[in-house]
Amino acid sequence: MTNGNRSLGRDGRNRAGANFVTDRTIRLDGVRKAFGRNAVLRGIDLELPAGTITVLMGANGAGKSTLVKILCGVHGADAGRILLGGQPFAPASPSDALASGVVTVHQNINDGVVPGLDVATNLVLDELPRGALFLNQRAIRARARAIAAQVGLHDLDMRAEVRHLGLAERQMVAIARAMARSPRLLILDEPTSSLSAVEAERLFALVERLRAKGVAILYISHRMGDIRRLADRIVAMRDGAISGRFERAPLDIESAVRAMLGHAMAEVRIDIPAPGAPVLEARGLVLRPGARAFDLDARAGEVLAVTGLVGSGKSALAGALFGVALPLAGAMRLDGADYVPASPGDAVARGVFLSPKDRLQNAVVRDFDITRNLTLPFLRRHASGGFLSRRSERTAARAVVAEMGVVCQSPGDPITTLSGGNQQKVVVGRWLSQPSRLLILDEPFQGVDIQARRDIGARIRATAPGRATIVLATEIDEALEIADRILVMSEGTVVGEHVNRGIDLGRLMAQVVDAPGARAVTAE
Amino acid sequence: MRDFAIRYGFLILMIGLIVVFGLSAPGFLTPQSAVFILQSVAITGILALGVTCTMVVDGFDLSIGAVATSALMLSAYAQVIWGLGAIEAVLMCLAMGAAVGLANGVMIVKLRVPDLLATLGMMFVLIGLQRIPTQGNSISTGMALPGGGSATGTFDPLFLALGRLRLDFILPRLLPLSVVMLLVIALLVWVFLETTRHGRLMYAIGSNAQAAALAGTNVDRYRIAAYVISGTLASVGGVLLAARLGRGDVASGNNLLLDAVAAALIGFAVLGAGKPNAFGTAIGALFVGILLQGLTMLNAPYYTQDFIKGAVLIVALVFTFALSGRAGRPA
Amino acid sequence: MLSRRMFATAAAAALLVPGLAAAEAPAAGTKIALVRYLSTGDFFQAYLSGVEKQAEALGLELQVLDSRQDAALQADMVDQAISLGVEGIIIQHGLTESMKEAAQRAVDAGIKVVAFDVDVENEAIPQIEQSDRDLARLALEQAIEDNGDSFTAGYVYVPGIAPLDRRDETWKEFKARYPGITEKAMFGTMDNPIANSVANQARSVLSANPDITVMFAPYDEFAKGVKIAVDEAGMGADMSIYSADISTADIAAMREPGSAWKATAATNPAVVGEVSVRSLAMLLGGEDPGRSVIVPPTLITQTQLNEQDIKSMEELAAKLPAFAHAEVAMTPWMKLPPR
Repeated sequence: MTNGNRSLGRDGRNRAGANFVTDRTIRLDGVRKAFGRNAVLRGIDLELPAGTITVLMGANGAGKSTLVKILCGVHGADAGRILLGGQPFAPASPSDALASGVVTVHQNINDGVVPGLDVATNLVLDELPRGALFLNQRAIRARARAIAAQVGLHDLDMRAEVRHLGLAERQMVAIARAMARSPRLLILDEPTSSLSAVEAERLFALVERLRAKGVAILYISHRMGDIRRLADRIVAMRDGAISGRFERAPLDIESAVRAMLGHAMAEVRIDIPAPGAPVLEARGLVLRPGARAFDLDARAGEVLAVTGLVGSGKSALAGALFGVALPLAGAMRLDGADYVPASPGDAVARGVFLSPKDRLQNAVVRDFDITRNLTLPFLRRHASGGFLSRRSERTAARAVVAEMGVVCQSPGDPITTLSGGNQQKVVVGRWLSQPSRLLILDEPFQGVDIQARRDIGARIRATAPGRATIVLATEIDEALEIADRILVMSEGTVVGEHVNRGIDLGRLMAQVVDAPGARAVTAE
Repeated sequence: MRDFAIRYGFLILMIGLIVVFGLSAPGFLTPQSAVFILQSVAITGILALGVTCTMVVDGFDLSIGAVATSALMLSAYAQVIWGLGAIEAVLMCLAMGAAVGLANGVMIVKLRVPDLLATLGMMFVLIGLQRIPTQGNSISTGMALPGGGSATGTFDPLFLALGRLRLDFILPRLLPLSVVMLLVIALLVWVFLETTRHGRLMYAIGSNAQAAALAGTNVDRYRIAAYVISGTLASVGGVLLAARLGRGDVASGNNLLLDAVAAALIGFAVLGAGKPNAFGTAIGALFVGILLQGLTMLNAPYYTQDFIKGAVLIVALVFTFALSGRAGRPA
Repeated sequence: MLSRRMFATAAAAALLVPGLAAAEAPAAGTKIALVRYLSTGDFFQAYLSGVEKQAEALGLELQVLDSRQDAALQADMVDQAISLGVEGIIIQHGLTESMKEAAQRAVDAGIKVVAFDVDVENEAIPQIEQSDRDLARLALEQAIEDNGDSFTAGYVYVPGIAPLDRRDETWKEFKARYPGITEKAMFGTMDNPIANSVANQARSVLSANPDITVMFAPYDEFAKGVKIAVDEAGMGADMSIYSADISTADIAAMREPGSAWKATAATNPAVVGEVSVRSLAMLLGGEDPGRSVIVPPTLITQTQLNEQDIKSMEELAAKLPAFAHAEVAMTPWMKLPPR
């Protein structure tokens, strides 16, 4: 019993004594990384001063997650060097990085806590492998309280099981646990993406306390509220390079967003067709409690993009249209008839298709070959009397493979042999293979390279006549590339509408980034 | 080469086994011997095909052994104590099996009880329930009834024929009806899983239920249906068992469960399928049957047979998970 | 509870003092417990019914504790019975290792104990036994009477199960005594349902050894399985099966036209149950039933069953008096269950 006490106490003293070193800046010089021929980081020069919150902004594929992975030891850099307190730093593994004082709190909160254990055990978890055989609960709680106090958390119930805590508290536990290692650099990867406003406020207070303690903080977020609240400086990344540094108060957030998105979006010219008959007419939709009701129309032949930050309500909209979860209020009509889909099956039967986001989780059937993945929703068309016709399936699959430009040896290849971009072509092509009234594509360009993105976008536009198409895209340039008309969502409702011709990007951006309290913007 | 081993390794192993037994055990390579093997695996084979259906939707059914012995007791009770005929008795058993499957499915799908736990609970319920009406006694004609008097009903000859009738095939009176039923059920399950829309959707659910749901599949309904199929096939197995034994024997059916699961798991390795499949399950059952028949003919004691059954299962699982690399990321 | 037990102990002690009291039946309402290890199956069910009937006839209050093959639980159940304040305990089956100390604790608490089919190594505890050696002997003698002392045999056996091991000893003796008996194959399994699994094995054995004419299957589930295989192979006319134990279902199987199941030796499990209670009652009444109480088996042949048209266990007991009642553990005051 006393053993456990002593070992815990000793660790505690070590931590308390040797907290921070003198030169506390983290410096990256010319860090490069490529996967195959695909250069992801093209020479990053970056300083992360101690006691400063640096916000890192970047679109999908800009390279920010690769940068984080190099810092926390998942990947090694191909070139360049990192200095940590003046010492070269090249972690071989995540535990190596941890030992050097680089701590990462990932987006997925449960990566940082063990839900089945109580708060105290979670806080001292890193010390348990080296502790005594028998646990002294009282010593553990005392040590855990000390750890929590270090980061200013005095009101945590040490005996509560973590699975009973809210997301914010779990995150606090994860951060407090990370802080017990007295880190030099704390990386927070979109930490507020699943927190409520009140919960986020608690997190901000904690982050500010850590800043006051002299920790360098790298904060990755798209949320303008977070950025306004916390950022001492903003670094924007684009295409594997730093595209802007903003350090002077007041921070110019709009310029930062512009630096993050760049100007490539203006390159695509969209020919807006004459609008057809209305296909979807939604009136008074309410997607979440307290959100303002909104209307939505989609016309035949038009491609409508809905953009907005993560959590702005795009996926809830898709779910409501596709019968996954009915809206809280409002009425929908499809081709003039009432439309109340009770299930995805109902929606498909009415000609409303959804290509979901997160393909590995929501779309790819790993055990199936390309053909079977393509025909999955439409087996009825390939069956007579319940029996499937292989020939009919193959014919359909060959057509989609050709139209989408899926790079494969044959439609009989397992889907898992394809690259991410080609898998995405398959799961999007799945829904393009049959005519629909309303096609919803949720993040159709997620995790694909620029060529696949162009191919998929072209195919979506080429097949658009005759149906209404709604593309949900977090990235504004994706929306600009594909849409005739762009809706902006925020806080579960539509806050802006733009025709995609000579768009006022500043205004669009302002609508996207405007957090709670943004004034409603009427159509142009 | 490696692909070839994964694909045909198990079938080659089986042929090798047949050759070895054929050389060392006289009488092994005869039509009778082949039929014995099929007959000895008929019941577990049918159960295994049922559990294969639940495995296809990424589920599991631990209650099949208990369903089979419950059907055994029910069919005996219906005929011996209530004096019902073969057709009524069989229909009652099938209905019982389907109802148990439905209860399992609803528990798992609607009430969100994990499959292993739900079917484990059902297994215990059935093992107990089947003994309550007879207070733990086996059922046979002439048995004393709890209320006084003795049971006067008998097994309908039509019912016993299910387990005992043998058809002329090559030799007169060679092929037992139970073997015919195994083959027919194996074929039906294979056709259902491999060539119909429903089977395809069940495989999709087993591989990625979320994706199947977002493709418009009614996932809940298919998962429940899988348990109904499993329960019904288990009751068919129980009926055949009753017809063979000719009495309602009190038994837990745990060995039936284990043998059936082993056959289904060995089936993963056949033709390198790497997933539950009807053809593999049938071959898996046959493989175990050949092995046990050969070993018994060579006078090997029963514990060596368990040992070898286990070894075969492990080899099959290694084939499936290590060699074909399914457990990890795609190659 | 405690004081009541002490009173019972004192009363029992008083009864044991020589000359003080003549032996007499235990008082009606005396509490006894049956602590079981095995309970699943016809034999154990019938045993229980015998215990219940005899206890009722004597007016004893019976508590049944069933450990369902959990050796540790069975030992705990003895302690449970002690704390329930019973005056007598029947230990039915179990393992010597786990029951020896529990039985001693019961004896120390002044409780009368008898044990059926388990040796608890205690001088104060009478052993009730059905003689497995006699069972095997009767069946094998009949086999020799029917087939002469020279034949090719198959033998069904699973080692490690006490009654089967004892029956196996007799089989070995017979093989030694009659060199004409050749054991061509030995097989067996306890896989559930046993009859079905044994039938599968017997099919293989019969096709590998078509010259077998006699099957010794000294457990009725084994015999049933062998009979299924023999019928399926159409060898009923050339095969004779000898077994031990009997049930209503077995009677039907033995009497099927052309049945190869020629004879079985059995003790009526209900009678064994009755004898267990009677022995305990004698102890409670101050008499000694002896260190070992053996219930003699009866030989039942197919011919007997057919001639007397016996269809069930009840008819067997009615028409074969030796099967209905065993004249062991009897005293003048003993009340028997109504027949």
